[in-house]
Amino acid sequence: MALLDRSNGASSDYALRVSNVSKTFRIHQERASSLKAFIAAGGRNRYEEFWALTDVSFDVEPGQALGIIGHNGSGKSTLLKCMAGILTPNAGNIEVTKRMAALLELGAGFHQELSGRDNVFLNAAILGMGRKEIAKRFDEIVDFADLGQFIDNPVKTYSSGMYVRLAFAVAINVDPELLLIDEILAVGDVTFQQKCMEKFVDFRQQGRTLVLVTHDATTVRNFCDRAIWLDHGSIRMQGDPSDVVDEYTETMLGAETSDGAEVGRRGDGKITIDTVELLVGGVPVDRFHTGDDLTVRLHFTAHEPIETPVFEINIASLGGATVTAPSSRQADRTPARVSGSGTVDIMMQNVPLIAQRYVLHTEVTGYGRQHVYDHLQNARTFDVVTGTSRETGGLVTLHPTWTIVGDGVETA
Amino acid sequence: MSIRTALGQRNLLYLLSQKELRTRYRKSILGWAWSLLNPLSQMIIFSIIFLKVFNQSAPTGAASGLDNFPLYFLSGLLPFQFFSISVTAAIGNVQGGASLIKKVAFPHEHLVFSIVIAQLVTIGIELVVLSISFLFFGYFMFQWLIPMALLLVLISLFTTGVALALSAANVFFHDINYLWGIVAQLMFYSSPIIFVPSQVTSEAVRFVSNWGPAGSFVRASQRILYDGQMPSIERWAHIAFFSIATFVLGAWIFNKLSPRFAEEF
Repeated sequence: MALLDRSNGASSDYALRVSNVSKTFRIHQERASSLKAFIAAGGRNRYEEFWALTDVSFDVEPGQALGIIGHNGSGKSTLLKCMAGILTPNAGNIEVTKRMAALLELGAGFHQELSGRDNVFLNAAILGMGRKEIAKRFDEIVDFADLGQFIDNPVKTYSSGMYVRLAFAVAINVDPELLLIDEILAVGDVTFQQKCMEKFVDFRQQGRTLVLVTHDATTVRNFCDRAIWLDHGSIRMQGDPSDVVDEYTETMLGAETSDGAEVGRRGDGKITIDTVELLVGGVPVDRFHTGDDLTVRLHFTAHEPIETPVFEINIASLGGATVTAPSSRQADRTPARVSGSGTVDIMMQNVPLIAQRYVLHTEVTGYGRQHVYDHLQNARTFDVVTGTSRETGGLVTLHPTWTIVGDGVETA
Repeated sequence: MSIRTALGQRNLLYLLSQKELRTRYRKSILGWAWSLLNPLSQMIIFSIIFLKVFNQSAPTGAASGLDNFPLYFLSGLLPFQFFSISVTAAIGNVQGGASLIKKVAFPHEHLVFSIVIAQLVTIGIELVVLSISFLFFGYFMFQWLIPMALLLVLISLFTTGVALALSAANVFFHDINYLWGIVAQLMFYSSPIIFVPSQVTSEAVRFVSNWGPAGSFVRASQRILYDGQMPSIERWAHIAFFSIATFVLGAWIFNKLSPRFAEEF
């Protein structure tokens, strides 16, 4: 990650502008990395050019969260490295008007022999921070990393968790206005990933600009307000994240079904679920804490009058395990008849879901459950973050109380 | 690049240099003593060869009146080692910085500058120790450390230029690393460190040892430290010219090549 202040001070209508950028790599057939081979080849390396990026142009507006998706080898990492200034494009140029930081790898530049404290200073300097700035933020960084007295031990003695926490603490405190992120969210434990997620959400709420490169369509759908689909080095599609992600996942033909993100719909459509909202304290959310009171609100339209429709939701883990599947029939709340549009509120108190990502399916059927009006597979996903429980295993917490006694047991 | 970014990111440069110094002697019992023990052991070896094997006599210091081969040897060895060790370490540091270069945009030349700065600190300590050992032979020469500092500035420019060029080229051809090992030896033996130019009969060897790049600054250093005399204007001009030229050329080569580091690693 590096912080570059290439801003010209003037306010612009873009935070980052990529104009006609192309990048080629040389694929060496017989790599002459010795002088002898180089001279024998008449001072030329034999190579083939590989076009990683072909004439890519787009703007990122200030305050926007842009997601760049694409399969492996689509050029998205190359694009990110060009934007970050690590690679130099062969053609075209990249303008940055904001203080930019790029987060490609956590802890790049950590030195094993130095203490955590020394590494904070060194790493922050590599990321472009001045001495005074680092000194000012040092306490905050150490607090966030939560290392206690280990801060003065060499980082080679750290567990991988401590290492990543410290690296992230430094990175996020560089305080950029424009942040480029590679798929680093896939590291660390669940708690740490949430901590990252929370930081990024804060970051967005502060009106800062984000560019996220990932192959995880769900993240783009939930987190970004614009998406670019990169395919074989050029932009295949860009625009609204849902549209782009739908098109992308459809084309990938479920090649990456691991997070089951594709929305599947079946039923005769006499009643449709139009949107699904999650509300906590009356406010729509994408994420909430374990122990929150959650309301799932379904907006439906009955295109003709329907007798006794049964509404059901199904909350499942990404792995496919159903956590709960309440239906209006079992609750004895099935309406006798609906027509026009309306909402269904399913209010759940003290939700015991433990922190991770979940998916929600909805279904409207006849009273006999045989006839399907509308079934929405993967209607939406949401994240639960650590709240009243700090458990990380399983899917729900059963609010355990612990008692440990014995002759040799000392209380902490 | 160089000068402007170096000043713009001097905090990074400072911390990288500090890292070099702090981590250099990790896991060694004698630690920093090694930076003195190394030239000392060479001094003993070469003094025995020079005085006992080849039966040569030490040159007499022009103004200092010194007649001491070990001190003569160190006067030339210390600046030469500063140069050769810096270049070797810089090549290694750029090579070893691969993971950083691939993941972070930062001024790559700092990997070279920080080595030279760390080596400057080392030679500073060595020179003070050398000056103290001159005292044991009844010669007070601390005032000569001032022109020596000026000479070191010029040697640093030369060293940085060579280090920039070779460390950048080494990213593309690892032979540079090995080739440098041979060239460094050649430069060592062609410089008048273990011999005295006036005792050499071959005109060609005398010329190279006097006016080859390394030979020239070794001569100047011996003149200041051992003879206790100011080098001639010609000497200063010669060193200043090739030092600045080498630095400019090295910086130009590094600038040309460094944008391609990330994809080459």
